[in-house]
Amino acid sequence: MPAFASCGEAIILGLVSGPACIAACGPILVPSLLAEHKGFRPHARYLSVFLAARLLGYMLFAVVAWELGLLASLLPAPRLLLMGVVYVLLAGVLLWYAYSARRSCAQPCADSKLVQITENRNHGVTGAAALGLLTGLNLCPPFVVAGIRAAQMGSMAAALLFFAVFFLGTSIWFVPFVGLGCIVRNQAVITVARMAMVLIALYYLSMGIAMLLGKKAYGY
Amino acid sequence: MATDARTLPLARPAPRGIGWSLLLTLPILVWSLLMFFNPGSSKTPIWIISGAITALFMTTLFFMMMRSRSTYRWRRIFFVSLGVLFPIGFIYNIVVMRGTMGIPVEEMIAGRTPFCFMPIPMLILPAAFTRTLVFPGSIASASHGIAAMVGVWLALTLVMGKGWCSYACFFGGIEEGVAAIPARAKIRKLDPRLRYLPWAVLLAMVLLSLALFEPAYCMWLCPFKAVSEYVAARNLLGLVQNVIFILLFAGLVIVLPFLTKKRTQCSWFCPFGAFQSIFNKISIFEVKIDKERCKPCLVCLNACPNLSLSKESVARGETLLSCMKCGACVDVCPRQAIVWHIKGTEIAWKPERARLMFLYAAWAMAIMFGGSIIAQGIATILHFIV
Repeated sequence: MPAFASCGEAIILGLVSGPACIAACGPILVPSLLAEHKGFRPHARYLSVFLAARLLGYMLFAVVAWELGLLASLLPAPRLLLMGVVYVLLAGVLLWYAYSARRSCAQPCADSKLVQITENRNHGVTGAAALGLLTGLNLCPPFVVAGIRAAQMGSMAAALLFFAVFFLGTSIWFVPFVGLGCIVRNQAVITVARMAMVLIALYYLSMGIAMLLGKKAYGY
Repeated sequence: MATDARTLPLARPAPRGIGWSLLLTLPILVWSLLMFFNPGSSKTPIWIISGAITALFMTTLFFMMMRSRSTYRWRRIFFVSLGVLFPIGFIYNIVVMRGTMGIPVEEMIAGRTPFCFMPIPMLILPAAFTRTLVFPGSIASASHGIAAMVGVWLALTLVMGKGWCSYACFFGGIEEGVAAIPARAKIRKLDPRLRYLPWAVLLAMVLLSLALFEPAYCMWLCPFKAVSEYVAARNLLGLVQNVIFILLFAGLVIVLPFLTKKRTQCSWFCPFGAFQSIFNKISIFEVKIDKERCKPCLVCLNACPNLSLSKESVARGETLLSCMKCGACVDVCPRQAIVWHIKGTEIAWKPERARLMFLYAAWAMAIMFGGSIIAQGIATILHFIV
């Protein structure tokens, strides 16, 4: 019965935290989806891989943090360091994504062929997995809230279950993103998505470096 | 064989008579007087003088538009004046109120920053998801509250479309002035893909604003922070922000407009401009190209300050979505093939009437937004002289 109650709590927490999760993941997910194949199915596949990798990131962090006893008490300095590393890696993946999209459309850049920017299907899957994993490791506010509650669980298994159910609750909010697959793809949309990826990557890179510099950048 | 009259080049229309031009200017004169001398308000002599100069200035420019039947060069005089006088009045006010151009974060959080329309697209998603405005300005103020300003902006935008960027924006004037300096462009070949960059900036900034719960553009990328209010640099991050502002201003507002004779910040960077472009689809006013009359000499392509024409769009008989309705292409076309147009009418249906209808709306907006800023700038200068 307590397990059932904690699952209920986790799913409600996930559902109410969903908008914050979308806000945190939006800058990464939206441009990368817009640079993908047009259509419902490719987007559903991309989103599934992204969410699965995000769950993996959640679990990985939860296990390590539980083992180290840091789940609810990660000090500001190491937290800043971890986020700095995640931000720099996110920037790297986004830049690679924008660059590889350009490479794969470089040869057949005419009419509808241009739309199919990823002839290599692995490109989308790898990118989605890398981005999903990194957003899972990103200490966004809903994640921290879930972490604090999970730390109060009696065992690691219970904490992991709490995280998994919490993840399910938040994931429902991501389903509408599949609708982006219905937006018409042309050279303009793909170019805009790629340029936006570069800008967002530069933002994450600068913030990541600032976080790694810590006191030198923030002055406190 | 009979020749269609519309395929013949037209002579440039003769100037309109002074009497007619004065009559057409009368509504604008009345509107100017109402704006700058509204009854019941008590004003200092400096304010009365600056208001009178501004009313005369705006009315004279409109009269010249009516008399000469050309739009662009008179609009440009207003727009450059607005761009130059805005920082003068703004900086003076900020320094008097705050003692410095630098704005500390706590001032932003407390909402003690003046209204700016730039973050409007970045307010939408955070407001939709959380009912929270992330704009760092006052919401409570009755006369300049964000809700009222957003309402005025929306009403005007629905009518004018991206005309906002040529008749109301107080940022574009500096680069338009710089672009007017050289006789010829030093850089002529411009990558057309750069036209997509404002949309990318818009997408990135809207998403980041939602993620960070702050207007990311104002915090990181606004070139005009260099001439308005910069971030009070208390740490390395603040210093980096200010360096970005200065570099963007120098590059996009000074150097590139000088080299290309284009409004490069507006064409290649401004997210608000991209957002305004969407409303060109709704606005009833547009610039069209009469395909029967056009022998594509492409003079209009070079004249357009905003890269809103391409060979393909000229062939289709229309401008690109980013058209700011400045009138440069209309004035320069040697065959009078580019015309002001009201949607739903024949392309050749009384283009001068369409121009007049657009200009009344645009100039009323220009007086309301730009005129008050020009008056503020003149008052500041007078304050130092007198």
